[in-house]
Amino acid sequence: MSRRPVSWALLLAMVAMLLLLPAAGLGLSVNDVARDVRCPTCNTPLDVSNAPIAIRMKQYIADRISAGVTEKAVIIDELEAEFGPEIRTVPPKSGFDLIAWIVPALVVFVGLALIPIITRLWSRRGRDHEPGVAPPSPEETRRLQEELDRLET
Amino acid sequence: MTEDAPVVEAPEPPRDRRRLVWAIVTAVVIAAVVGFLALGLANRGVGTSIDTAIRAGERPAAPEFSLPVLVAGGGVGPAGTNVALSSLRGKIVVVNMWASWCGPCIEESALLESLWNRYRTRDVVLLGIQVEDFTKDGLAFYEKYGLTYPSLRDGGDVTKRAYQATGVPETFVVDRQGRLALTLRGPVAEADATALAGIIDGLRREPAVQ
Repeated sequence: MSRRPVSWALLLAMVAMLLLLPAAGLGLSVNDVARDVRCPTCNTPLDVSNAPIAIRMKQYIADRISAGVTEKAVIIDELEAEFGPEIRTVPPKSGFDLIAWIVPALVVFVGLALIPIITRLWSRRGRDHEPGVAPPSPEETRRLQEELDRLET
Repeated sequence: MTEDAPVVEAPEPPRDRRRLVWAIVTAVVIAAVVGFLALGLANRGVGTSIDTAIRAGERPAAPEFSLPVLVAGGGVGPAGTNVALSSLRGKIVVVNMWASWCGPCIEESALLESLWNRYRTRDVVLLGIQVEDFTKDGLAFYEKYGLTYPSLRDGGDVTKRAYQATGVPETFVVDRQGRLALTLRGPVAEADATALAGIIDGLRREPAVQ
């Protein structure tokens, strides 16, 4: 019996496993957390900062991951407790800060909804402003009829 | 031969009115830009106002703060409670902003400790403010270098911004009336410690309340 079908089955099983494996299952990295945290000294995200406190904070993140913390939010909350809410590069999706998430989405949604309305309004206005053709006056009708009669004869 | 039907022009939209609206909008935008530029120029000196005022011989009011105590001592504490600068009115307060990861902070800590030991019983409070640092690291720093002067903790850097500090360490001397008498942007060196002692002695000779 050929081994080829078995190899193919194994390969397919491995690909399926990789596809089904959630990203989180691959493990939380220091940079996953660091890019959402601001360096208090230089105000840039931690992952691009080499300030002493940024290095120390990245060490803290690494220590927490090594200790088994898998939730990014847990580590960021701990850092917030030490350094205050301004430590976040992105506002939390709760409480008053929720506005920062809702308002831009709302603006985009309203903008998209307004496009057909405004387009229709503009096209209607353009139609209204088109130069109109007035119906011929009785005198013009009479002259036109006379011309037609003359052409027929 | 045919004749074209006469074309009757529709009434023109009110262009003059539209032009007026555009002119008003443009004028408002230009006025806003000019206004913001003027405001920016007027406030150009705000970032250095504390130093400028002190250099001019003035004593601006020290920005108020209320922060948790990291290390208690000299009547400041217990640890964890909040202490406000205004609660120390009547005393000379030497505020020192520091962080455990800061090399110059380590170098100046011995000088500050000796200054504290010299003045702690003379109505002078040396008050550290730990900024941009982990609580745990700050406590380890105090233990490692044997420091006994009290320290507060400012995790959110609010005080640093209020005092227009650009880094650590920085030291400020607040007189008995809660006014800034000196700013020292950088570490306290031997010569600075001597000058600092001279300024403290001068402030001690001033009446408590005017």
